Amino acid sequence: MAEPAKPEVTEEAKMDLLEDDDEFEEFEIDQEWDDKEEGNEALQQWEDDWDDDDVNDDFSLQLRKELESNAPKN
Amino acid sequence: MAVYLSMGEAHRRIGDYLSRVVDAISTSDGAALASLFAVSAPGSTLLSDALAAFPDFPRFAGDRFPHLADLLVPLLRAIHSHSLQRFADAYSSFEKAANAFLQEFRNWETPWAMEAMHTVALEIRLLAEKADRELAMTGKNPDKLQAAGSFLMKVFGALAVKGPKRIGALYVTCQLFKIYFRLGTVNLCRSVIRSIETARNFDFEDFPVKDKVTYMYYTGRLEVFNENFLVADQKLTYALMHCNPQSESNLRRILKFLIPVKLSIGVLPKRTLLERYNLLEYADVMTSLKRGDLRLLRQALDRHEDHHIIQRQKEPAKAHQIKLGVVVKALKWLEIDMDVDEVECIMACLIYKNLIKGYFAHKSKVLVLSKQDPFPKLNGKPV
Repeated sequence: MAEPAKPEVTEEAKMDLLEDDDEFEEFEIDQEWDDKEEGNEALQQWEDDWDDDDVNDDFSLQLRKELESNAPKN
Repeated sequence: MAVYLSMGEAHRRIGDYLSRVVDAISTSDGAALASLFAVSAPGSTLLSDALAAFPDFPRFAGDRFPHLADLLVPLLRAIHSHSLQRFADAYSSFEKAANAFLQEFRNWETPWAMEAMHTVALEIRLLAEKADRELAMTGKNPDKLQAAGSFLMKVFGALAVKGPKRIGALYVTCQLFKIYFRLGTVNLCRSVIRSIETARNFDFEDFPVKDKVTYMYYTGRLEVFNENFLVADQKLTYALMHCNPQSESNLRRILKFLIPVKLSIGVLPKRTLLERYNLLEYADVMTSLKRGDLRLLRQALDRHEDHHIIQRQKEPAKAHQIKLGVVVKALKWLEIDMDVDEVECIMACLIYKNLIKGYFAHKSKVLVLSKQDPFPKLNGKPV
C-alpha cells in the first residue's frame, strides 16, 4: 500500500524555557499569607466530564447535516 | 540629577550609611542589614549623590572601618556604578562584597542575617541580568548570570547543612532555578533538588510557604519537560493550592502549565477558571475537545502553538457501531485528509491505549463500541 501523506497532527509539545513571562514573580522577602487548608478557589474549578451537554450547537448540527447529505458509500 | 553637594555633606552621608551597616551587624539586625544591601531597589539618591561628589570614597570607607573594608568598599562601588547605570561594573563590585559577606555569614552561628543573605542572593541575580544585557549590547560576553549562579551555589552550600540555617536554603534554590531556567541549563537544577529532597533531618514542610510554592512551580515545570505528567500534576497542584491568593500573575503562571498537564490526564478546567485568570486562549481547545471538533482544535493549537504545550486528544462520535467511512467523511469535512486504513489504525491505537473500549469488524469496516463505558474517563491516568 502506498504510504499516504502523513496526517499533520504532529504538533510538537513545545516549551520555551527561556520565555521571560514564565519567570515566577518574587514574593516579598518577608511576605506571609494565610495558607488555608482547603487551598485556593482555583482548585475547585476542574471537571473530568468530557460530555458536551449541548448537542444542538452549530458544530453538531452541521456535522449531522454533512453526514446525512449523501448515504455513506460503504 | 547631579545636585551640588559640599564635601562635608558627602562625607556625612557616606559615613552615615557605613555606620548603619556596621551597627546592623553589631546588633544582629537582619532586616536593617537587608535593606542596606538592596542596591538596585529604587530608593533615595542621597547616598549615590554623595558618592558621585566624593570620588575618594573607597579610601574613606577603608580607613574608617578597616575590619569590614572587604565588604564595605566594594559595596559602595556597586551602589555608585549602579547609580551611573554601569551594570557590569556594579555586578563585579557587588560580587566581591557578596563573597566578603558570605565569609562573615559562615562564622555566625545563628541565622540572624538570613534576610540580608537572601537580599544579597536576589540582588546578585538581578544585577547579573542587567549586566548581561549591557554586555550583550556592547558586543561582549554576557557571563555574569552564570557567575551569579556559581556564587549562589556557594551560598547554597553554606545553608544546606544540618543546623538552623537550613531553613534559608530553599529561597536560594529558587534563585538558582530562575538563573538556570533563564540560561537554559535546567539540568543543573538536579543536584540542588537532590540535596533538598533527600534531607533526612529537615522536613520540606518546614520551609517558608513562599519558597515552597516557587520551588513546586519550577520543579513541576521540570517534570512537564521530562513528560512525568503525574508528578508534574502533584507539584503544580501544590503550588496552586498554597500560592498567595492575591498573587494573580503567579496563579496564572502555575495554571498555564497545570492546564495542559491536567488535560493529559483527562481533567478539564471549567470555563469560569479560564475567565477568572485570563486564560481564554485555552477556551477553544476545551470546546473542541468536548465536541470532538478537530478542526477547531487544530486552529486553536495553531494559533497558540508557540505558547502552550498541548496533549493531543481525540474523541470520536457516539454510537455503538461506527462505520469507519463515516469517520473518514467527518474528518474530511474537518479538513483532515485520512483514508479508511489510517482511521482504522488510529482507532486500534486508541483501543490499545484504553481510550476506547470496543473491537473491529475488519471486513465490514465497522468499529463496534462496548455498550458499557465505551470512552473510559482518564481519571488521572496518563495517556
